Amino acid sequence: MSETISTEAFQVLLDRAGISVKPEHMDEMRSAYMLLQAMRERVRKPRGYDAEPAHIFAPAGR
Amino acid sequence: MTSDLTLLTIREASTLIAERKLSPVELTKACIARTQALDATLITYVAFTPELALEAAEAAEVEIGTSGPRGPMHGIPVGLKDIYDTAGVATTAHSNLLKSRVPTEDAFTVTKLRESGAVITGKLGTFEFAIGGPSFDLFTPPARNPWDPARTTGGSSSGSGAAVAAGMVLGATGSDTGGSIRSPSSLCGLAGIKPTYGLLSRRGILPLSQSLDHAGPMCWTVEDAALMLQAMAGHDPLDPACADVAVPDFTEKLDETVKGKTIGVIRHFHETDHQAAPPVLAAIEQAIAVYTSLGCVIKAVTLPPLMDFAAVGLIIMSSEAFAIHEADQRATPELYGEIARDRISMGGLLTGADYVQALRRRQELCAAVAEAMIGVDVLLTAGSPFPAQPIDKVPKWLMYQKPSITMPFNVTGLPALALCAGYEPGTGLPVAIQLVGHPFAETTVFQLGHAYEQATQWRATRPALLAA
Amino acid sequence: MTALHDLTIAEAAPLLKAKKLSPVELTASYLSRIEAFDGQLNAYIRVLPEQAMAAARKAEGEIMKGGYKGPLHGVPIGLKDIYNTKGIATTGHSALYKDHVPEEDATTTRLLAEAGTILLGKLSTWEFAIGGTSFDLPWPPAKNPWNLAHDPAGSSSGSGAAIAAGLAMGSMGTDTGGSIRGPAAWCGISGLKPTYGLVSRRGILPLSFSLDHGGPMCWTSEDCALMMEVLAQHDPLDPGSADVAKPDFAGSLQKDVKGLRIGVIRHFFESDAETDPEIKAGIEAALVTFRELGCEVVDVTLSPLSAYGDAATLISRSEAFAFHEETLKATPELYGELARQRIMMGAFVRACDYVNALRERGRLIAEIATVFESVDVLICPTMPGVAPKLGDLGNMMSRSRPSFTRVFNLTGSPALSVCSGFSAAGLPLNMQIVGRPFQDDLVLRVGSAFEKATAFRDLRPAPWVQQALAAE
Repeated sequence: MSETISTEAFQVLLDRAGISVKPEHMDEMRSAYMLLQAMRERVRKPRGYDAEPAHIFAPAGR
Repeated sequence: MTSDLTLLTIREASTLIAERKLSPVELTKACIARTQALDATLITYVAFTPELALEAAEAAEVEIGTSGPRGPMHGIPVGLKDIYDTAGVATTAHSNLLKSRVPTEDAFTVTKLRESGAVITGKLGTFEFAIGGPSFDLFTPPARNPWDPARTTGGSSSGSGAAVAAGMVLGATGSDTGGSIRSPSSLCGLAGIKPTYGLLSRRGILPLSQSLDHAGPMCWTVEDAALMLQAMAGHDPLDPACADVAVPDFTEKLDETVKGKTIGVIRHFHETDHQAAPPVLAAIEQAIAVYTSLGCVIKAVTLPPLMDFAAVGLIIMSSEAFAIHEADQRATPELYGEIARDRISMGGLLTGADYVQALRRRQELCAAVAEAMIGVDVLLTAGSPFPAQPIDKVPKWLMYQKPSITMPFNVTGLPALALCAGYEPGTGLPVAIQLVGHPFAETTVFQLGHAYEQATQWRATRPALLAA
Repeated sequence: MTALHDLTIAEAAPLLKAKKLSPVELTASYLSRIEAFDGQLNAYIRVLPEQAMAAARKAEGEIMKGGYKGPLHGVPIGLKDIYNTKGIATTGHSALYKDHVPEEDATTTRLLAEAGTILLGKLSTWEFAIGGTSFDLPWPPAKNPWNLAHDPAGSSSGSGAAIAAGLAMGSMGTDTGGSIRGPAAWCGISGLKPTYGLVSRRGILPLSFSLDHGGPMCWTSEDCALMMEVLAQHDPLDPGSADVAKPDFAGSLQKDVKGLRIGVIRHFFESDAETDPEIKAGIEAALVTFRELGCEVVDVTLSPLSAYGDAATLISRSEAFAFHEETLKATPELYGELARQRIMMGAFVRACDYVNALRERGRLIAEIATVFESVDVLICPTMPGVAPKLGDLGNMMSRSRPSFTRVFNLTGSPALSVCSGFSAAGLPLNMQIVGRPFQDDLVLRVGSAFEKATAFRDLRPAPWVQQALAAE
């Protein structure tokens, strides 16, 4: 996903998150989000279903 | 003579105190004087509490006079990053949101420090909520680097870095979620350790990201860091992440030879993944030469790309931080500084699946690093890719634009020590290396750090500001 | 003489051990019942007659030579079709995995085989354990043996149906939000969701890593305990596997329940969720039985039911979506409608919601541990009603009826569903018994004591099945 996210689409994400951003910060936040988007893609790769999250939980007493 | 007392290491001071040649009250007074002389320039403290410090110093002196010191930290002036809860003293995370927040209980590690007899001098400045800085829109300005007050200390344990480097205290507590102990330690020429995840209790420390947060000490020397870590360590059953492990004597191996130890250099981290500045690269090469001359075996190791660790760390950190702050950001956004608010907000743009995928990648990265560390005693890379930048030129999104060289060891939870490896020619700004050990092998990390320190002369140089 | 398919594991084992009953005879009996009746029940996706008979002959040979392995030796079982079986398709009841043939057995598959069980086949399930009673999959959904027009619940629908109808002597299900206990409830059998980490999850198609549990479904609690004896092993290759001493299942069954303190989570079924009067009456009658057995019964308070459901939903949806998102985006048409919709919801969960759900989870775990300081087991219903019409789960799953089962996936507590009677319409009533982490043996002991003190285990479902048999 190499194109920058559109302002409208970004606004949807912000609204969903309940975040308000000052107009003068919009561009830099969008750019930062694109960097974050690249990171979201980096943590996804083909992996077997035995690839478990790091927090696998322990009920009390373990 | 008085000002020289602040240049004592914890080791030196504790020896003199034990021999009754140094009064804890005199030592604390010297630190207070130093603070009064320099704090206007360096703005290290959020809440300086000299009266409480003197009370504690007097109590220490009386007790030491009667029954001797409890240990090496008895009577030693120590500052606390203002995210460590202190009973009866405001703990604000340097945020307008918490300006009047006064805890009723000490943090667990603060209790431990008090029990060791350390003299708490006050609450030190920090990036807002350990993430938002250097910020100029908080209730006090950001701390400045004693090596050049026009420059940043690094963060987020900014005040801690400044206070120790300036001789205002002999040690300070910091916290490290992506590098917040090691970055200011590197930029302020200190020895600071992010211990193994779960070694120290996080209870009573305002959290940034629960599964990445670590408490730790920042001092002038590696030995001091070991002494201070010793005082802070201990199992806390009320911190679900705190490991129930026996606490070793971290100073046990300090004077043992390091001959035959294997050092794995993660060249790609500081040469390509996040290319370090020339003085940093030179310092690393020199450190390698020093270790070679000490009889260590040098090996090249390859880890997954630095950007992978950065991605995992930032996704986890942002998600957890936003979960903590979402309600307050929505209700009173104006009580946050701009940098903290915006950096935390990014977490709201992530999905649960993003977080789960990052956790799955985290497991893989941990396994890859463990594999690479087979037969290696410590890893070596830069403590920071560059020396301190001008305080008004720190990019807000730097952590997104360039991968952090410290974050991999928050992601993997391994003990990581930053220590001074020299000074940039011309500017005199400190540069640092980073040593990373196996889980709960702080003793070996300290051993190798101490050996390097003893074989070099960097600890003889103090910021020019102190001579003035 | 009890019909072979009506024998429990506990009844069959001494006969098998004494060589009075042959595994071959037993297996053949089940295979012919499956052939006769499964067409109407759809409990099985795949029956393995040759393999089962070969295994039965092998077991017979071993026992004849004096190599009796234990109570599961020669016992015919079914595995929910998300348990990997080496060389045998493990489909998750989905077109996506129609030809998915694992190269390795799941740990559970291996342990049960090593204990000498006979694998009859792979059992029906909700698609990927989430997709509800679906009619758009390569195989039809399972039906409820007590009334073929009714739903067996899920996701371990085939396991529930097979045991109730006497098409297997023991079975494995999995439980992420109630998928063992729900079918156990509506099919009138015993199903245990063990403590998280007690039974290995390795080789089971995951739905939600931190909520998934594998567990036994049998006619009685005692049989579940006999299966747990074999299943409860630490598996270092499962990151969630607990390294704890195995509870003494067999020994615990020998003890009585006198003096045990039972905590009734009354607000769950009297205010938090609309519960059918017959279910409530079944619980009250059970409490009388427990008092007669010498137990102390008190009321206890937990957080409101919806607190658990909300946290569990956020966690399970995120984890399920993370697991499926690649294939969901690439080949959505290979998913059934219900599975696709339910999994997709995970895309809308924000990371901070997931993290907050985890934090809430920590609080709820601490809270229930406090409650367990004053009682030994908890009781509440498993399901708020009896089995509805097939596929008609809309009302059941609505928000006004939050789940009684998800609570204990969230806390990781061992939770057992047992039959507590029958409705006026002849459908099984249900009750849930919950214990402290790793006290699965105590939970099963309580369930078994209840079953032995009542006559509900004497009534098998679907007289039509017996009539059909008599007609042969």
